[in-house]
Amino acid sequence: MKQKSWDIHLEEMMEAGVHFGHQARKWNPKMTSYIFTERKGIHILNLTQTARFLSEACDLLANAASGGKQFLIVGTKYQAADLVASAATRARCHYVNKKWLGGMLTNWSTIETRLQRFRDLEDKENMGLLNQLPKKEAANLKRQLAQLRKNLGGIKYMTSLPDIVIIIDQQKEFTAIQECITLGIPTICLVDTDCNPDLTDIPIPANDDARASIRWILNKLTSAIREGRYNSMEIK
Amino acid sequence: MAAVAPNLVCFGACREASQQMWCNNHTSVVGSIAKPLLSVGWWLSSSGNNNSSRFQGNNNKAREDYYGNNFAGGATSSNSSRGVSRLHYCVVAAALAGPRAKDSLLVEAEERWQRALTNPLDGVSFTYEEFSDALSKYDFSFEVGDLVKGIVFKVDYNGALIDIGAKAPAHLPLQEACIFKLKSLEEVGLVPGIEEEFLILREDDDNGRMILSLRKLQYDLSWERCRQLQSDDVVIRGKVVLANKGGLVVQVEGLRGFVPFSQISARQDPEELVDKELPLKFLEVDEEQTRLVLSNRKALAESQSVFGIGSVVLGTVQTVKPYGAFIDMGGVSGLLHISQISHDRLTTVESVLAPGDKLKVMILSQDKDRGRISLSTKKLEPTPGDMLRNPALVYEKADEMAKTFRQRVAQAEAAAKAEELRLHQESGFALRADLAASANVLGLEELDLAASTSGED
Repeated sequence: MKQKSWDIHLEEMMEAGVHFGHQARKWNPKMTSYIFTERKGIHILNLTQTARFLSEACDLLANAASGGKQFLIVGTKYQAADLVASAATRARCHYVNKKWLGGMLTNWSTIETRLQRFRDLEDKENMGLLNQLPKKEAANLKRQLAQLRKNLGGIKYMTSLPDIVIIIDQQKEFTAIQECITLGIPTICLVDTDCNPDLTDIPIPANDDARASIRWILNKLTSAIREGRYNSMEIK
Repeated sequence: MAAVAPNLVCFGACREASQQMWCNNHTSVVGSIAKPLLSVGWWLSSSGNNNSSRFQGNNNKAREDYYGNNFAGGATSSNSSRGVSRLHYCVVAAALAGPRAKDSLLVEAEERWQRALTNPLDGVSFTYEEFSDALSKYDFSFEVGDLVKGIVFKVDYNGALIDIGAKAPAHLPLQEACIFKLKSLEEVGLVPGIEEEFLILREDDDNGRMILSLRKLQYDLSWERCRQLQSDDVVIRGKVVLANKGGLVVQVEGLRGFVPFSQISARQDPEELVDKELPLKFLEVDEEQTRLVLSNRKALAESQSVFGIGSVVLGTVQTVKPYGAFIDMGGVSGLLHISQISHDRLTTVESVLAPGDKLKVMILSQDKDRGRISLSTKKLEPTPGDMLRNPALVYEKADEMAKTFRQRVAQAEAAAKAEELRLHQESGFALRADLAASANVLGLEELDLAASTSGED
């Protein structure tokens, strides 16, 4: 468990607006220890703690990655959706950026069936079998394929439950967090001032609304994952 | 709700107290191998105690349980307010479910979390003070009415989401994107990735989400353009949108303007003009009162051939007013003042002229700037008072009279010039200006006097 510096600079964080919280009225009192002050009716998060938690999270990810673990990034907000997809593909993790289907993890067996169907349909399409069917059936199957791709596209290659789950907005992905807690999967979550930091294993107090902030944090986390994987390859 | 699955554990939250007691009693006894079995035993025995309230919010990672003495530096059972450790039931889950891979990860995560809490500044490259100092530097403040540059990152049927560097992205509704009605935002050219300037309309959410507008900016631009066109005196084409009581409503540069009936020179019905384009010139451009008045006639006055002063034109009476009549001559209209109709005094115009009457008029003067032409039929009367008694005669004799008039005007001018020269020889420069002015006046207004002057000479 070596400590490594992850290049977390104050200026970068403030440029990205990581320190802004939600409006002062809409806070969760459990976040008191993470809030620095209130300015103009908006809470400001304590970036020293953000940096600290972020470095711990990165270490955890790097170690897990070098051990060959699987990760899942969940982010369904408007602002986060495409960022999550690109970050996950860069780091070769699974991701969910459209609606989180209920039971995706707890009902893994059913989801596995769906993934199987997804694979079958894709194979059929690649082989061109869909065009040999009558129009209506072909249209039906294509529509199914499109839906599956939309919802499960990010977890296409997942074979079992992930080892660590990274969640972007705790309020929005409440179901995801609950499932992870049920199953005992460690979570790393971006908490804003209106979230509950006790639900997650490693909270990273940060702004979950602005794109720049989400992008910056995801960059750090995914670079940690890649670092870990690279190290594991080196060792081998 | 309690999630029940055959091989997964049910996590009814147990009462703190019972848990505490049990742990404390058995802390010293357990070894690492026996722990899972013990935990299973615990679970089975307390299954009757199935509280279906889920994991408490108070999910502090307490390590006061029997694992407490294994962790380095762990403060243990003195934390009596802590609830059941998640670690605890997850281990139980793992024990029953099978592989223990997750168990170590969770342990590690917990450990790290604790470490971060207890060791807050370890490995952080800046200090608390630096952070608080830098806060004021990076504060953003967007007021209503500001112009901001933003990048569009999502477009849907309702509007667009734009990243402006504030806490949360801002929203641009469909109605606010353009002056004209839009079906989708792509028509204005807003696709994800475009950077543009927007105006902040108001603050919407509690999150500080702003509502932006492009429309206001476009309005300002349109007004500016209209002002410029007015000062340049340019003819523009406007589409007639509807006809109302006082005139027509046209659309020009995206703004709605008004053309009063008096300023329309067309011979058609106003209703027929809807959806047609007319050449227009700006009369009034007032942004504060949002008044935009245009004139068709002014635009046409330019394009019309210039009528010479003194020429006779055939015209139709357009409207009759108490002070005279408006005569339409080939699209251009002029005013025939009541005093210029006939030598005899008239009280009302209606007695002589009615709308639709055809008559010949002589042009007295033309005011290009205001598109006004002054007319007269007085000069065309062979004998004074003819207009009243015998309009037809006036009509016939009009050309003759005009010719005569012009001759007399020429004579008057010649006479005035001679006078001038004479006076100039006698008294010098000072008088010349006076004479010149009076000569003009004489020539046009008072023919009798001119006749008498020429007669004198």
